[in-house]
Amino acid sequence: MSRAEHAADRAARWVLAQEEESWSAADQAEFDAWLSESDGNRTAYLRLRHSWREADRISALGRSLPEPAERVAYRPPWRRYVPFGIAASIVLALGGTYLYRPEALQPETEQVLGASYATPVGSRKIIAFTDGSKVELNTASKVRTAVRPKSREVWLDQGEAFFEVARKEDQPFIVYAGNRQITVLGTKFSVRRDGEKVTVSVLEGRVRVDEIEQGQAVRFAVIVGGDIAIARGSATLVASHSEQKVEDALAWRRGMLSFDRSNLGEIATEFNRYNAKKLVVVDPETAALRIGGMFPSNDPDAFVRVLSEAYGLKVEETPTEVRITN
Amino acid sequence: MVDDEALNEWFCREVLPLEGPLTRFIRRNWRVADDVMDLRHDVYERAFTGARKELPVNTRQYLFTIARNHLINSAKRARIVSFEHVADLETVDSDIDLFEAERHLTARESLRRVLAGLEKLSPRVREIVELRKIEGLTPQETADRLGIGKDAVSGQLVMGMKALASHMLGGTGRVVRPRYGARGRGEQS
Repeated sequence: MSRAEHAADRAARWVLAQEEESWSAADQAEFDAWLSESDGNRTAYLRLRHSWREADRISALGRSLPEPAERVAYRPPWRRYVPFGIAASIVLALGGTYLYRPEALQPETEQVLGASYATPVGSRKIIAFTDGSKVELNTASKVRTAVRPKSREVWLDQGEAFFEVARKEDQPFIVYAGNRQITVLGTKFSVRRDGEKVTVSVLEGRVRVDEIEQGQAVRFAVIVGGDIAIARGSATLVASHSEQKVEDALAWRRGMLSFDRSNLGEIATEFNRYNAKKLVVVDPETAALRIGGMFPSNDPDAFVRVLSEAYGLKVEETPTEVRITN
Repeated sequence: MVDDEALNEWFCREVLPLEGPLTRFIRRNWRVADDVMDLRHDVYERAFTGARKELPVNTRQYLFTIARNHLINSAKRARIVSFEHVADLETVDSDIDLFEAERHLTARESLRRVLAGLEKLSPRVREIVELRKIEGLTPQETADRLGIGKDAVSGQLVMGMKALASHMLGGTGRVVRPRYGARGRGEQS
């Protein structure tokens, strides 16, 4: 056997062994010794581990073979077992430090163990978990949180939130939104609810979106950075390779709204999430007008000025509304 | 010194995507097809060791320079070197620009590669890889379900993992025999 093949065989065995629950400290020591034998071993290992992990992408697709009768509990292939992690997370939960952010422009930060949080219209808030994870609430949003030894859970009851999740292999981070359950180990993504529609936009890492029916996960999709999943009822639409759209969807974190050829009706609805004074587009023809650009979410007046100056639309202001007509 | 984590990350992000062009480069410039995998293995090893001190600014150039030097040295050792051969290798710098476009796959392209790689596996290996990757079964659970030994499952997974890596990284392009002097610049594999 050639030396390349020999190294590849050993490397493949190591990759498999590391996925097993029985992986022990002694295994680790043996593995480390093998790695330090030569950089050839190391590169052979990295090469296989890399493409083997890449192959996780197919987990979103479902089997090409007929589904067996019983359902098997999902086990992410990349899950590793770190027994110290649990102890560490408990210590962190007990002795967690308060996260202080002096920046004046930053939304207010609160610490979390198990509680509920809400933001009024037009404001944002950052919730810090003791493990370093952060949840950033957008306007008019509500979440409840729970940190348990085996999981970190958030219920998005209303609105939109951005999640920056610290990686913990043994304590998955789960977001419940409507009939969707979003599970991650460590990544950055946002979840938004509009009634029964749930939109998941992934900035980094990978996210599993389960559809829940009577407490059971019936279907799922795995999406990665740059993907957006839009779920409504039992339908899930995945837009891959949408980095720009993901960025637009997250503009609110900088206090901005970003549109790419969105129609005026949708744009008005977006602004209305952030402001007490509502934009009303009177006729359907005007509402269908497509507009792109980036605007401060708390300053609909600036946007309305653009409408009247650049598009020649008529603007009529009342104490509670801004009415836009052709 | 570059720390291990950064080094590993660099190797996966910068070096591995060049596997296709690197493999074809070695094939074109080496007479014995059976040596190609070993030579590539050596090039990876040298590239990794060399990057310990400092990550290269231009990974592509760095990698192909190592490959060229390694081929020249191996040819000298094997006493199969000809002046023509070495002279041809000197042109590597202008040649590698052709490969620029092959890097940085999008998520969708990556998925397509995985699927294409899966298609090339034998049905049995493919089934076992799918049970692992899609159903999340452990080798023991797969063994129980298929009624075969765990060792057999592990053996198939090893095969599947190696074959997938080669397919996905583009390292199994068709064998191109050396054509000294007149290289096929527009070749596809």
